[in-house]
Order: sequence, then C-alpha cells, then structure tokens
Amino acid sequence: MSTARFSPFELLLLNSRSQVDTAILLLLAWVLVQRQHISEGQRRRRLAQVSAHFRHGHELGPVMQIAHQQDMQAIQLAAEIVHRECSPTRSMKVIQQAIVVAGDNGNLCHANHYILHFLADLLNITPDTLTTLYKELTGTHLEAPGDMSTQAYWRQYDPHHDERQAQQQAAAEKARADAAATAQQREHERQERRAEKQRKRQERADRKAEVRAQREKAKQEKARQAQTRREQKRQENAQRKKAHQENARQEQYRKDQHQHSRQEGARQAPTDRTARALAVLGLRPGASHSEIRRAYRKMAQLHHPDRFFSQSDQQIALASARFQRIKNAYDYLSQRGERS
Amino acid sequence: MRDLYQRLDLPPDANQQAIAKAIEHCQHNTLKQDAAAVLGIPEHRLAYDQLHATLSDIGQLRSRLGLTHGAHWQGSVANDFSLPPDQTRSCQDDLAERISRAAMLYNRWQRFRVSGLLVATLLTVAGMSLAAGLAWAMRLASA
Repeated sequence: MSTARFSPFELLLLNSRSQVDTAILLLLAWVLVQRQHISEGQRRRRLAQVSAHFRHGHELGPVMQIAHQQDMQAIQLAAEIVHRECSPTRSMKVIQQAIVVAGDNGNLCHANHYILHFLADLLNITPDTLTTLYKELTGTHLEAPGDMSTQAYWRQYDPHHDERQAQQQAAAEKARADAAATAQQREHERQERRAEKQRKRQERADRKAEVRAQREKAKQEKARQAQTRREQKRQENAQRKKAHQENARQEQYRKDQHQHSRQEGARQAPTDRTARALAVLGLRPGASHSEIRRAYRKMAQLHHPDRFFSQSDQQIALASARFQRIKNAYDYLSQRGERS
Repeated sequence: MRDLYQRLDLPPDANQQAIAKAIEHCQHNTLKQDAAAVLGIPEHRLAYDQLHATLSDIGQLRSRLGLTHGAHWQGSVANDFSLPPDQTRSCQDDLAERISRAAMLYNRWQRFRVSGLLVATLLTVAGMSLAAGLAWAMRLASA
C-alpha cells in the first residue's frame, strides 16, 4: 500500500468526467512535447483541435504541464487506463490522433517515432496497420529513423562537423599563435624597458662617479693644500726652531765667552784676524802666548828659506812666502798680546 | 538504436573523462568508433542523451505494462532498451486502492464525529464539575 500523496494527474483523473479521455490527452501531450520546432501556443492549439470531441471537462493547461515534466508515473497510469479501457475502434481513432499530432507534415522526430510504435503496441495495432495509417495521414512512409548511436549517422546528418572541428582547431591554433606573438611582443617590450632602465642606471652611475671623482679631486686638492700648509708650517716651525737654536747657541756662546773672559781676566774676544793668524801657526783659538812662541819657532825652523837654498828658486820663493806669512802672523799675535 | 552507455558499462550521467577512458579501453573496434563519434562530441552527445532518455522511459513503460514482446520491437535496433517484465503493481490498481482507503478513512471520520462529539461534551461537563468540587473542598478546609 502506497503512502504517497495523490499526484496532480491522479487528482485530474478524479475530477475528470471521462478518465479515458484524460489519459489519451496526456499521451497526446507527451507526443507533442517531443516535437522541437513548435511553440507552446501551437502545441496547445493542436491539442485542442484533436480533443474537440473529448468529454474530459477540465482545462488542458495542467495536462500540458504534466507532460512537460515527463512524469513517467502519470504517463504509465494513462497508458494503463488506455490499455484497459479502449475499444478497438477507439484505439484506431487514438492512433490516428497521435500520428496527426506527432508530425502532420511528415517530419517525425526520433523520439516520436518510438513513441508511435509504443502507442501502437499499447493499442493492439499491428505494424502494418500503423504504416498504412501513417501513409494515409501524412503522405510519407514511416521509415525507421537513422541510428543515432553510429558514426555513419553523424557523418550523414552532421557532415560539417569535421570542417567545423578543423575550423575550431585552426582558430585555436591562430589564437595560440596570436597569444605567442603578443607574448613575444611583450617580452620584447620588457627587454627594451629593461635596456632603457639599464642605460638610465648606467647614466646615473656615471654621473655619480663623475661627482665622486670631482669630490675626490677636491678632497685631494684640499689634502695637498693642507699638506703644503703643513709643510710650510713645519718649515716655519723648523726655521723658528733653528732660529731659536741659533739664538740659544749664540746665547750660549755669548755666555761661554762671557764666562771665558771672566775666567781669563782681561782677554778680548778673538777676532777674525787672530783666528786666521792662529790657524797659520797651526793653533786653535784661545792658545796661550807661550804656545804661540813655541809654535812660531817650530814653524820658522820648518819653513825658513835657508833650508831650501839647495833646491829650485821657485821652492825657495814659496818657502820665503810661507815664512813671511808665519812671521806676519806671529808679529800680529805678539803685537796684540803686548797691547792686551 | 544501441544503448552505448550500457555497452560501455557507464552510467548515463558519466562525465567526459570517464567516457574518454571507457572509449580508450573498449576492445570492440566498431563500438569504439561509434562511441567516439557520438559520446566524444558534446553536441552529438546532447542529442543522443535526449533520445536515450525517451527510449529508456519507453522501455520501462513496456516492461511495466507487459508489452515486452510486442511485434513492433521485433528485430529492432531499440532492443537494447527492452527490459525484462517488471512485476511492480500497476498504477491504476494503486490509485484505486488509495482511493478506497481514503474513502474508508473518510467514512470512519464521519462516524467518529457523531460519537466523538457526544464523548467530548460528557468529558467537558465531568471536568468542570470536578474542578468545582475541588474548589469547594479547599474552601472548606481553609475555613
């Protein structure tokens, strides 16, 4: 026992004045729904024309709706009712109506071909009767439709498929080529941009390097100046130091002299001539009087011209000049010594 | 028309990859070519699927209506869709039974409504008197 609710078609049947008519309506609507190239309005009109003498007593709208939903429970119920309750004459009428509805201008779609066969089977109509009826009603032969499950069928009914596929392939190829070209272009642009960037960077680096070089140069210049200045300063320092040292030395000398003169009593500071005269006698500055006399005697013996009388005149002349210089020096020193 | 799905051992809602795999592994050369030409191409498959659905429905109807061996299908290429007879209950019998059950329930409800009304009235009166008695007893106890 089913617990399902009453379906729309069952309610329709309960409301119908003639269940058989309602069931036939649904089967015809099922056939109509399979037709592809007609509008909904045309379907309704066709169904209304066919069912002009029916006694169902309800609207056609719900029937069409159920047929559109392909409610196989409802169609099975309708088929059962038709199978059980149709008289042979009524069956004939029903199959005629179905043929009219399925393709009045001879265009029978695949689905309707099989549905017509099913209805004929359902209504106990032989295949011969069906073909005859079909020929009478539409003027064309009822031929077995092409087998949609074979390659041959599609070669016949869709011969352009290969061309289309080739076109699609070509288009895809072209698109791919275009894409590749654009990619290449983009790559090229990118490279250009990169090169541009590189150049700019190079320029910038150059400029920077230049600036750096200038700065370096300036620095070097400055350093050199500083160096020179330092040099000058050092020189100045050195000079100053030297001068200082000189001063110090002179000071020292003066101090020494002073000390000396103070030590030796009334002794004058030695002059240039004295130093020279002392040098002639082979003495150092500051030699004593006795030292001078002893040195003079030694030098006079050594350089006296009489010692050279056996030698040449030039030797004698030179010796006398030497002796004269020594005598002059001794004379000067002895005179100075007597004065001081 | 052959049922390519059945022959390739596929469900009718198989996706394109499963179909391609099944075609690749198919041992039957002609079937392989046909399947590639029909199921391998989306627009062909769409048309094929529509007709396949209709034929499956018809096959089911035939098996349920006891029309499995009708003359119209003898030697037909649609034999792939001929199912063995189905012993499920017919829809019309089912409908008749449901209608009779609904009618029985309706009748029972109608009968219950008469007696039910009487019982409901009695119960209401009894309940009210009980409440009143309780209230009186409480007042006595408190007084």
